[in-house]
Amino acid sequence: MNGMIDDQTLDRQLREAMPYIDDDGFTARVMARLPAVRPRPQWLRAMVLLGLTILGSAMAWMLAGPFVRHGMVQLANFPIWLLVVLAFGCGLILGALAVVAMVHKTPEARDFTRLRF
Amino acid sequence: MELTDADLIARVLVDDDHHAFAELVRRHQSSVRGLLRQLTRADLALADDLAQETFLRAYKNIRSFRGEARFSTWLYRIAYNCFREDARRRKEVVGLNQEQLQMEHDPQTVDPGLRHDLAHALKALPLHERAAIVLCCQNGLSHDEAARVLDIPLGTVKTNVLRGREKLKKMLAAWAPG
Repeated sequence: MNGMIDDQTLDRQLREAMPYIDDDGFTARVMARLPAVRPRPQWLRAMVLLGLTILGSAMAWMLAGPFVRHGMVQLANFPIWLLVVLAFGCGLILGALAVVAMVHKTPEARDFTRLRF
Repeated sequence: MELTDADLIARVLVDDDHHAFAELVRRHQSSVRGLLRQLTRADLALADDLAQETFLRAYKNIRSFRGEARFSTWLYRIAYNCFREDARRRKEVVGLNQEQLQMEHDPQTVDPGLRHDLAHALKALPLHERAAIVLCCQNGLSHDEAARVLDIPLGTVKTNVLRGREKLKKMLAAWAPG
């Protein structure tokens, strides 16, 4: 009875020493301590949907008429430098919105100490 | 079809779905409680309190789970932090407990079963070795994953596993064949 226990036996014993632990009400105790779910106001969702519907309808009504044709003619008459500035401005605004969304969605971006370079 | 952990996490994030979180708790409670039982040297009440705290923290911080590691690995990391904070609060000497080690070597207290002896031997290991052994050898984490959980270098994890195993083998030498 001397020497050492072999690796295989040790590994097997270690794995078997970690049996499945029955829940036995543990999950229920955890769930009871969670903060209550805040009910989401259903009227808010309804109002947003209604607003979007009205906006979409208004846009469709405007675009369906001579608005598009007139707009295109006016746009064609713009000097080229103005079109370039317009396009650049739109790009900047979209880029800024994307950065704001990224910072909002990514916790790491809000806390620079957590960024890994 | 059973939902994956990622599906359940998405439901918690989007709809604050408590049922989805309950399923995550049910899936991982055994391994988290098992880990904490080993870390607390089988103090079942303390281990369960810490496990509850682990899942509460996981719920509150689930937005910071980036999905780079397995969800279980992320939970183990929270569990380990809970344990360390609690140990610090209690000013517990985390490491080799001389009284327990002495008990290990007292032939009158040696139990007949190898498994029972192994449990005692594990308790006698210093925390850093015990944690590495439990994570890598019992919970099946890779050395890299264990290094993330324990927040120590990969090489240190390998050393701790190696040293822990050697100590276990020595403590269980009586069970060696021949």
